Amino acid sequence: MSIQLLIFQILNGIGIGMIYFLLSAGLTLIFGLMRFVNFTHGALYLLAAYVAFALTRSGISFWIALLLAPLTTTFVAIVIERLILRHTYRMAHEAQILITFATALFIQEMVILAFGPLGQNVSVPPQLSGVVFLGPYVYPVYRLAVVGVAAVVALLVWLLIERTKTGSILRAGSEKAEMVGLLGINVDLVFMATFALGGALAGLAGVLAAPLRGVDPFMSAEALGIAFVVVVVGGLGTLSGALVGGLLIGLVQSVMSSVWPEGAQFMIYASMALVLLLRPAGLLGRN
Amino acid sequence: MIDRRKFVGGVAAAPMFLAAPAFVRRANAQSTLPIPGLYSLSGNFANVGSAMNDGSAWAVEQYGTVAGNKLNYMLLDDRGDVGEAVRKVNDLMAVQRIKHLVGASNSAVGLAAQREAFLRGGIYVHQAGADEATGKDCNRSTFRWTAACYSAVNSTVRPLIDKYPNAKKWYTITGQYVFGDSLLSNCKEVFAEKGIQHLGNSYHSLSDREYSGFIASALATSPDVLAICNFGNQTLDVIRQAISFGMKRNTKILAVWSTGLDQFQALGPENCEDVYFGCNYWHSVDSPGNRRFAEIVKKKTGEVPNYLQAAGYAVAQMLMEGMNKANSTEADAIIKSLEGLTYEGPTGTETIRAGDHQVIKDYYLMLGKPKAAMKDKNDFCDVVAATKAFLPVEKTGCKMGV
Repeated sequence: MSIQLLIFQILNGIGIGMIYFLLSAGLTLIFGLMRFVNFTHGALYLLAAYVAFALTRSGISFWIALLLAPLTTTFVAIVIERLILRHTYRMAHEAQILITFATALFIQEMVILAFGPLGQNVSVPPQLSGVVFLGPYVYPVYRLAVVGVAAVVALLVWLLIERTKTGSILRAGSEKAEMVGLLGINVDLVFMATFALGGALAGLAGVLAAPLRGVDPFMSAEALGIAFVVVVVGGLGTLSGALVGGLLIGLVQSVMSSVWPEGAQFMIYASMALVLLLRPAGLLGRN
Repeated sequence: MIDRRKFVGGVAAAPMFLAAPAFVRRANAQSTLPIPGLYSLSGNFANVGSAMNDGSAWAVEQYGTVAGNKLNYMLLDDRGDVGEAVRKVNDLMAVQRIKHLVGASNSAVGLAAQREAFLRGGIYVHQAGADEATGKDCNRSTFRWTAACYSAVNSTVRPLIDKYPNAKKWYTITGQYVFGDSLLSNCKEVFAEKGIQHLGNSYHSLSDREYSGFIASALATSPDVLAICNFGNQTLDVIRQAISFGMKRNTKILAVWSTGLDQFQALGPENCEDVYFGCNYWHSVDSPGNRRFAEIVKKKTGEVPNYLQAAGYAVAQMLMEGMNKANSTEADAIIKSLEGLTYEGPTGTETIRAGDHQVIKDYYLMLGKPKAAMKDKNDFCDVVAATKAFLPVEKTGCKMGV
């Protein structure tokens, strides 16, 4: 592999890593703040992608879809949390996994009923089509925009959680819910807001992913799989961990695509195994 | 008062009355014949399996009865798992004693199921693409509707080389499993014969969905043509990502095997334009068999048929044509009647070659057209070439399971 290609694969890996971060941000946020394993994350991602598909197919601009799809998943996340998930907070993780998995399957089947089992296309918005030149290599403008959005999201969510009063309440609610309740704060509402934020992030990832890979009803499992790898590598529940985990996985995948193409996917899981062996809590996780 | 004659007659008739329920049961059992279809309704090939399953079910519904039996379609869901497929075929043929089967969502399942069908003395008609199905792994029990990988490569790569004689540098991206490998090895043979420089190949696993790294490797070699040796959603993702990386500017893109209309719809016209596709079926082919099939699909879905539905329909049609000709549901009789059979299938007149149980039919090279040139919403591509390219039986390596 030439140095030029290596440099490009590293840059590309950073791009992939940022997209993976976007996929996993909502998942890690909910786990970090609520210790809740949310399998509906992938389904909300799927739902947003299909909302974007339905809107753009009806002639509505992608930019409106970019706004409406995360709003839809935020609303659906709130409905799911109010109707189902809030009754499971005191249950074991296994029960939460089963219930959220069942909810995810329900959403997936609804999508199949509404749109059929075959894949569909969502066009890249004309303003972001085309490529930019990086020396002898080219990079899609749309991918670059998604990387930019992921970076902005990382910054905004970090500011929200770490630098605002709302963030303090969210973090306090996750550590000592009863104490926060005694201070007069509605913890129930705090948990609902956390789910809503997780749903919005899943929705944003879904609508942005749609022009990259099209939409199909089985895209949720693939997104959930990679999101779990990222949060496990980075450390369950830490936003910065998801960022570092995403970048590491993206780099491994991209560089290995040239070094050992048939093993690129294997190396993702080998990296996860290695990280777990050396740091069982993940790169930035706390025991 | 009962006389002697009536008494003797009654005694003689009694066993017949006693046995009657069994006869009635058997007659009823024979009157409904299950037609099992082996498809993946979940897993990597679920989108493929679902549409193929529809096609098979519609064919069974259309035929209604064969050889005096009322047909009843029955789905065997292998969940995209070869082991599950083998267990289901084993249960079907060894336990339930149903000896006929149609369908396969991918080559790995098709090859495993055809071995099982042969061992159990059944008959199996499928649409898996790997050469081995009617090549070295062929057997007496198995018939295959789709073109082999050899046919797909020779019906697409050769015409493209002839069309662009200066495009001498090719790069391949291949799904690493039996079908992808089969396409790749056939490509390499054509490259060697035609003096094409094979710049390199990137294998990827069946769980990959991010191909930008492979595309960067391909771009680094500046190929004239990028050939994609795979099937299903992964092919779409490779095409989509190759185009997003600007590959269409200097490189021709060929998907050696595509599923046609459903994939064109999934790609959209902007991604199909100027891309070459290999196809087993195209809905606008004007033939009696295709017109009949198109009417069924129109009635069921209101749309034109796609390849997946056609493949599902075709394998069930073959089995039932064989049953009708044999006027029997016994595997041996159906096998004999299918060998050499000519019938009107979805691609026109199709013939089953006796030597390897391969259906001889057209394989299409298609070229995506600009959106502005589309006559209707399904008019994504033009047929550039329609070729019946099949290895002679003696070169397939087929020994009929001996």
